[in-house]
Amino acid sequence: MFKKILIANRGEIAVRVIKTCQRLGIATVAVYSEADADSLAVEMADEAVFIGPPAPGESYLVLDKILDAIKQTGADAVHPGFGFLSENAAFPKALEEIGVAWIGPNVNAIDAMGDKIRSKQLAAKAGVSTIPGADGEINDADTALAAAKAIGYPVMLKASAGGGGKGMRIARSDAEVKEGFKAARNEAKSSFGDDRILIEKFIEEPRHIEIQVLGDKHGNVVHLNERECSVQRRNQKVLEEAPSPFLDKKTRAAMGEQAVSLSKAVDYDSAGTVEFIVDKDKNFYFLEMNTRLQVEHPVTELTTHLDLVEQMIRVAAGEALGFKQSEVPLDGWAVEARLYAEDPYRGFLPSIGRLKHFLEPAEGKLGEGQLRIDSGVREGDEISLFYDPMIAKVIGYGKTREIAIDTLAEALDRLHVDGLQSNAPFLSAVLDEQDFRSGRIHTGYIPEHFPEGFHGTAPREDQLIAMSCAAAYVHEINIRRGGRIEGRIRPEEDITSRDWVIFLDKRRIPVEIEMTAEGEATIWSPSLKADKITLTTQWHPGQHLFQATIDGQEIALVFADRTEGYVMRHRGFTATAIVCTPRSAELHVRLPEKEKPDMAKLVVSPMPGLVVTVEVEEGQEVKTGEPLIIVEAMKMENVLRAETDGTIKSVKVEAGNSVAADELMIEFE
Amino acid sequence: MKDVLEQLEAKRSAARLGGGAARIEAQHAKGKLTARERIEMLLDEGSFEEWDMFVEHRCTDFGMQDKKIPGDGVVTGHGTINGRLVYLFSKDFTVFGGSLSETHAQKIVKIQKAAIQNGAPIIGIFDAGGARIQEGVASLGGYADIFLQNTLASGVVPQISMIMGPCAGGDVYSPAITDFIFMVKDTSYMYVTGPDVVKTVTNETVTHEELGGASIHAKKSGVADGAFENDLEALVQIRRLIDFLPLSNRETPPKRPSYDNADRQEPSLDTLVPSNPNKPYDIKELIEKVADEGDFFEIAPDYGANIVTGFGRLDGQPVGFVANQPMSLAGVLDIDASRKAGRFVRFCDAFNIPVVTFVDVPGFLPGTKQEYGGLIKHGAKLLFAYAEATVPKLTVITRKAYGGAYDVMSSKHLRGDVNYAWPTAEIAVMGAKGAAEIIHRKDLGDEEKMAAHTKEYEDRFANPFVAAGRGYIDDVIMPHNTRKRLISALRTLKNKKAENPWKKHDNIPL
Repeated sequence: MFKKILIANRGEIAVRVIKTCQRLGIATVAVYSEADADSLAVEMADEAVFIGPPAPGESYLVLDKILDAIKQTGADAVHPGFGFLSENAAFPKALEEIGVAWIGPNVNAIDAMGDKIRSKQLAAKAGVSTIPGADGEINDADTALAAAKAIGYPVMLKASAGGGGKGMRIARSDAEVKEGFKAARNEAKSSFGDDRILIEKFIEEPRHIEIQVLGDKHGNVVHLNERECSVQRRNQKVLEEAPSPFLDKKTRAAMGEQAVSLSKAVDYDSAGTVEFIVDKDKNFYFLEMNTRLQVEHPVTELTTHLDLVEQMIRVAAGEALGFKQSEVPLDGWAVEARLYAEDPYRGFLPSIGRLKHFLEPAEGKLGEGQLRIDSGVREGDEISLFYDPMIAKVIGYGKTREIAIDTLAEALDRLHVDGLQSNAPFLSAVLDEQDFRSGRIHTGYIPEHFPEGFHGTAPREDQLIAMSCAAAYVHEINIRRGGRIEGRIRPEEDITSRDWVIFLDKRRIPVEIEMTAEGEATIWSPSLKADKITLTTQWHPGQHLFQATIDGQEIALVFADRTEGYVMRHRGFTATAIVCTPRSAELHVRLPEKEKPDMAKLVVSPMPGLVVTVEVEEGQEVKTGEPLIIVEAMKMENVLRAETDGTIKSVKVEAGNSVAADELMIEFE
Repeated sequence: MKDVLEQLEAKRSAARLGGGAARIEAQHAKGKLTARERIEMLLDEGSFEEWDMFVEHRCTDFGMQDKKIPGDGVVTGHGTINGRLVYLFSKDFTVFGGSLSETHAQKIVKIQKAAIQNGAPIIGIFDAGGARIQEGVASLGGYADIFLQNTLASGVVPQISMIMGPCAGGDVYSPAITDFIFMVKDTSYMYVTGPDVVKTVTNETVTHEELGGASIHAKKSGVADGAFENDLEALVQIRRLIDFLPLSNRETPPKRPSYDNADRQEPSLDTLVPSNPNKPYDIKELIEKVADEGDFFEIAPDYGANIVTGFGRLDGQPVGFVANQPMSLAGVLDIDASRKAGRFVRFCDAFNIPVVTFVDVPGFLPGTKQEYGGLIKHGAKLLFAYAEATVPKLTVITRKAYGGAYDVMSSKHLRGDVNYAWPTAEIAVMGAKGAAEIIHRKDLGDEEKMAAHTKEYEDRFANPFVAAGRGYIDDVIMPHNTRKRLISALRTLKNKKAENPWKKHDNIPL
């Protein structure tokens, strides 16, 4: 077995690999760029080697620097993680020369699968089903028709030189093929100056389902079941699960068999993933093979009780697989969410910066399930623009899919991220959505269910009740503590029960609360039809998480006490509560409702940064897409462009100004 | 007998109506509460005791003798906030537009005098149209009487002004003298002369909001110490502010039980200062992670943002925080920051509130704009304020403490009681590059040599140990222990006694 493993990666996956090495008693070496000097991975590793500036092109992607680090530390094996150099065949080749083991597949496998055309040919040869299509270009409508009939409807006609949907036509009948062929060809010609047309099977509502394979250097390959990663946003996986809610035993076995057969064809000898798309009728077609560990590997680990990193290390060290295909379990269900530093309310713009607060729930039992969190950051760390803005992977596991989803959702409710915006509310919204809950997902799920982007979910009755109860309780605690100040000339009122009116956003909710004991209250709210609700909690002022048992149900709300009120989030629903006495509530409703500024007319800074240049001046007319202002953040220049045609009313900043997130910079007429 | 008693109640009811139902309606339509509603929301329920409800004006000119409304445009009295005494007056816009008559002024002066004598804060709520023109010079005299009491009260009891409607002309000088001014966005404005006069005199066209709205005074002029969304939010926040303050200079600030742990460590503070010395960070994170429960009441957040001032608590004990803000202008001291922080430190000193200073300051802002604006004298205000302050003074240098700005920011030399530095602190006359360029002028052309000189200076001074070696720093502390160490230092200063030489008053460089 290896003595010392160098991890040629950073962040969450570096930490993940180190954990397994520590368990196996193998020493670890981390490499780090300037930006990661204080990272968790560096702290956990036995040794750490500095490899240069933050930009990956000057550090994590520079093979020579990694090789130097290996020589410097005497590591006898390298785990590449994913991304960076993990699928670069030059890396294992270079390692071979210096006699250091590569914890990954052999060079030939990487090369073969790295080439899209070659991998498809190899797959076809290995008996793996690929998307049916007509080879070569179709030159007239009759050939197109014949090809379409051979493939079976629906088919897609697309420009050979194409991209971006131009020159693409979907045809479901002979007539549509004839018509579509002409149109596609014309469009192809005008758009690309190239009228060659391809034809292939059109997969409706495709699912992304992939098979995890594992091979050793002795010719053994097994598959570890599938993962479904259909919930994607712009080809970026958002939620992943194992098993797939869609596959049956037969399809699973068939897909597994093909994946194994392809792996064997390239003598695959590590962990890898064979990606398929699957249509409504459970027909599946090969997409590509990833010759590395996948981000979403934890869902496979939880449902097979295997440590994939350990398995990779063992096979790299020459051990044979310790189990047969028939011994691979499929136990329970696991769902993973990728927690990203991005703002779901603003078109998922990256929201990078310092993690001012980062509170994660404890791993282990949560509700009826088990929670796993793979994170590479701690409170006070920086999420930088140089790398993937993933904060953590949160994984719920349980006997059933429902338990796994519930566990994950509960975990996201207990995640407090401040200093930057996370996508937790959005992830929670998906987890609560009915089609997702019942497994009706496909790669177009997000655009279909969130066509206008994400703006928070509508509240459920129980959420309104929980937030009203929480607000009333918090307010009572604050009021009572306020009363215990020194220097009173009037005795503190001894009241056990009080009426409050809560404005939860625009909802008016009267409640009565009785503080029955330390950390205990009884609450009545006629408008919510909530009668005599018991609340128990350990919450006290200063905590960012309000965890309580309300009416027998355990619930966690992310909580903040702000000037504008108590801001709370549960799942995808966020609301601000203003707690008034009945009298102040009468006055509250008399206050004017201030109109929110029309954000379409305002250009605000998306992140804290420095104004580099202002491209427009007051009174200037601009067209959609014209650059308005350049803001530099984290050494990256962000060009903000006009979203509509208009006239500049005022420019509030000048070059050299530092701006806060949300700071108004330019106003349109 | 019963008739007589009932008469009282009838008179009271009439007085409570102020300018009448129609005017109350108009007040609400403008998005404003009435004078009495504001008092009701500010004070503990049922605690308000009104004075001079039956006072009426004595003017007989211009037919005024026929127009009398009890109370005469201002509601005065006292009540409690969390059980603690406050005096207050609230201008009633529904009565003669809240304009100030001789008797109206007398009502205010009466409660000002009582507050000074009895040692309780004065809260003034402004929403009025200025002088009662019909009364002429009597009204002017009334103003001056109020100004005098404001001045006498200054430093004796906290004075807070809430601008919740128009506040113009003579009305502005009373708030100007008080300790804090808060405004309500969109419904309040204050200026010496209004847009009409401005137009006549200077031919400038300007709106009320542009001339004296909350956004102007809270951001540009610095006249206001904060702006709130509406009347209710403003009043709730003032209750919060009062909880930090002693009722008078004869008291120490009120303790309040804390839910926070005095020994709480904050590991994330160890990475607050970035490794790149030119990269900013948010000093408010330090304040919020050090203060009890993260509760921080910021004063003047939008003005002079390169310095942060405000109130928090350490183990239940109110303190004033002053901190350079690297996020804004690199935390440099300029005219605005010096004025803002100087005034805040003096308030804390006057009212026995310990001052906690976090230092990360690259120096004073250079340039003609600053020098022509009198940076020398304005910068000296902050220096003066720290030097004369006798309250407990705790200082933590987090990063840069360069040049004169090091001296100014509550240094040991200005009687800092406990001065700590983080290991990341750099206490030096200036940045290493600039220093090397001066010391080694002859090598200026030689890049390599200059780099070596810079490095040499850095090694010598870009740390807290030279200063600590001289005793200018009492200890170098781990960032994650900052709260614990500050609380423990504060406990040692409970019985601090320090006095300045007798003087009639000082002569701060105004």
